[in-house]
Amino acid sequence: MGRLLAVIERDLRKFQRNPVVAAMSVLMPILYLVILGNSFQGKLKDLPIVVIDHDSGPYSRRVIENLRAIESGQKIFSIMYLKDQKMALDGVRDGLYKAAVIIPHDFSKRVSIKKTPEIGLFVDNTDGISSEAIRNSIEGAIRSIRQEHVSIREKQDEIYLRGIDLYAKVDYYQSLVPGVVIMAIFLGTLTTGVFNLVMDRFLGIDESYLLTPLSKSHIVGGLIISGLSITTIIAALVLTVSMLMTGIPLSKGFEQCAAIFLVVTLTTLSLLSLMFVILGRVNHPRIVGILSGFLNVILFFPSGAVYPIASFPDWLKAFAKVNPEAYAVDALKAILFKGANILTILEDIAFLFIFTFAMTTIAIITFKRTL
Amino acid sequence: MQKANAIEVNNITKRFGSVTAVDSVSFNVSEGEFFGFLGPNGAGKTTLIRMLTTLLKPTSGSAIVACCDVARQPDAVRREIGVVPQAMTSDLDLTGYENMDIYGRFYGIPMKERKERISYLLEMVGLTNRANDLVAAYSGGMRRRLEIARVLVHRPRMLFLDEPTIGLDPQSRHVVWDFLRKLRDGDSITIFLTTHYMEEAEALCERVAIIDSGRIIAIGSPNELKSQIPGKDIITLAIGNLSENIINAIKGLPFVHKINIEDNIVRVYVDSGAHNLPALIDAVRSAGGNVTSATIHEQSLEDVFIHYTGKTIREEEAKKVSFLTGAGVPLKWGR
Repeated sequence: MGRLLAVIERDLRKFQRNPVVAAMSVLMPILYLVILGNSFQGKLKDLPIVVIDHDSGPYSRRVIENLRAIESGQKIFSIMYLKDQKMALDGVRDGLYKAAVIIPHDFSKRVSIKKTPEIGLFVDNTDGISSEAIRNSIEGAIRSIRQEHVSIREKQDEIYLRGIDLYAKVDYYQSLVPGVVIMAIFLGTLTTGVFNLVMDRFLGIDESYLLTPLSKSHIVGGLIISGLSITTIIAALVLTVSMLMTGIPLSKGFEQCAAIFLVVTLTTLSLLSLMFVILGRVNHPRIVGILSGFLNVILFFPSGAVYPIASFPDWLKAFAKVNPEAYAVDALKAILFKGANILTILEDIAFLFIFTFAMTTIAIITFKRTL
Repeated sequence: MQKANAIEVNNITKRFGSVTAVDSVSFNVSEGEFFGFLGPNGAGKTTLIRMLTTLLKPTSGSAIVACCDVARQPDAVRREIGVVPQAMTSDLDLTGYENMDIYGRFYGIPMKERKERISYLLEMVGLTNRANDLVAAYSGGMRRRLEIARVLVHRPRMLFLDEPTIGLDPQSRHVVWDFLRKLRDGDSITIFLTTHYMEEAEALCERVAIIDSGRIIAIGSPNELKSQIPGKDIITLAIGNLSENIINAIKGLPFVHKINIEDNIVRVYVDSGAHNLPALIDAVRSAGGNVTSATIHEQSLEDVFIHYTGKTIREEEAKKVSFLTGAGVPLKWGR
């Protein structure tokens, strides 16, 4: 026990002497929240489009009014008006506008005589997300022109769907918080634990403790525990700050905190032991650098933090089944947004526990006690 | 009475792929002896010391160190030995005291005993005043002294040092030498050291094994080794137009025991250099030789190396690229 504590203390003291690393480990995930939240917005807005009205008739004016209503209401796009069709299309090609709406000169006439009126929509289809959103909202704007009269609300013979939210509303920023916490844990586990072993090896310092009677479990266990204590503190700070920033309430107090703590601890242990299995024999920090981006992508994106796992193709779903981050995200979402207690997330906890146990065992067995 | 053996090595061999770093080496070291391994870089010294200290598994052969077989009971061996590897291995982010304290805890030494031992050792290596400074602020010599002190915290019966003074200035080197002598005399620890400095082996070791290309080529006390070379002195002549004729003329002189030639440098083994030099130069001249320089020196271990291998240590080093065996170079991925 004394030996294990010595390994832990050595590691913690070294970390404490590098306050910059500690500060960055907290700041970076929070910056993720800000940048991810703003660059990956749930709703699109302010997409620039251009409108050319060759018609100037009563119906074309109504189309433009409807477009303006969207511009000032949902704000999906902002409208520029041009006379020159070529200039407008060149603008779309040059990326100045996302789309050009062309209303031909006989539009109003064709509407009134009901002879297949048409409006041209030229879109920059290389930007799939924007073009799809613009197409949908403009289609909506045009469709309402056909309805000459205000329709009667709730016709008796029609079927209506009523949505009922089971939980308190979760806005886009809030929905990112579990992912950001997982990201903080990932970063923490990558820069502590086995990474310190890789650095010692790189600097040739590992020789000094390989020469002592420390066992494999002392070395692996000690590094995992020191990594755990650092990472849980980082994760707790990141979680607290992001909850305050996005206004997620702690509705159930202590019980909720305990559940969060358990999930964060088990997730950290899972990732620390996983890193040990992957990086246990690496002797150059550059290899960790190369792998870090890769591991982050393959663990984080299929975790359900940004996109629902149900929509993944089968092979990716299979991967998500063994991805500890997927279980962590599921558990954190349940605790933060659904007020779940430990019993409801038992499956996630069981998986993370077994995963940690298996990975730690493999790490200890595969750890090389000689040079 | 014969002293007990502290180290018994039997045909120990280490291969890295097709390279044989240590080739069937056998020797014994007695309890309390100061034993040196002398040889050029890449000769296999570090590989050997790593096998004796449990860091590498031998490909074949065996070694008993302190009490036990290094391959079978590595943990028991680790408890009995202190090892100062060639590379500096103290933690730069920790203070000198913390380095020693944590190391002592790796051995499970109780706190009170640890504290006393550390302050005694820090005093001994003259680092008491700097004990609470980060090692990052230490000079190379201080760091080396700390590392020697550190591996003594658990009172090892044997001390292994791999090139302990490499990279140190002459003054720091002498401080380390004095400290090692004190250790042997005061604490009667068995000391095993490797070096490629002749004068280090000569100054410290009771017995020396000379190693080249993974094999022991000679073993004995420095004096014994030197006595195997004929003559007492060596005259080194640089001869501009060296020829077969001149060489035969030198060999023909009655006082010449042996000669050794490298390029245009001729080493002549004689009993009294000062006495025989004039006659030697005369002989070279009358055979048509042109002596451009002449030096006389007493035999050293360097000459022992030359005697057995026909080349100087420095030349031998220049030839070798020791990427597999050199301690200073990181080994291939995963080691």
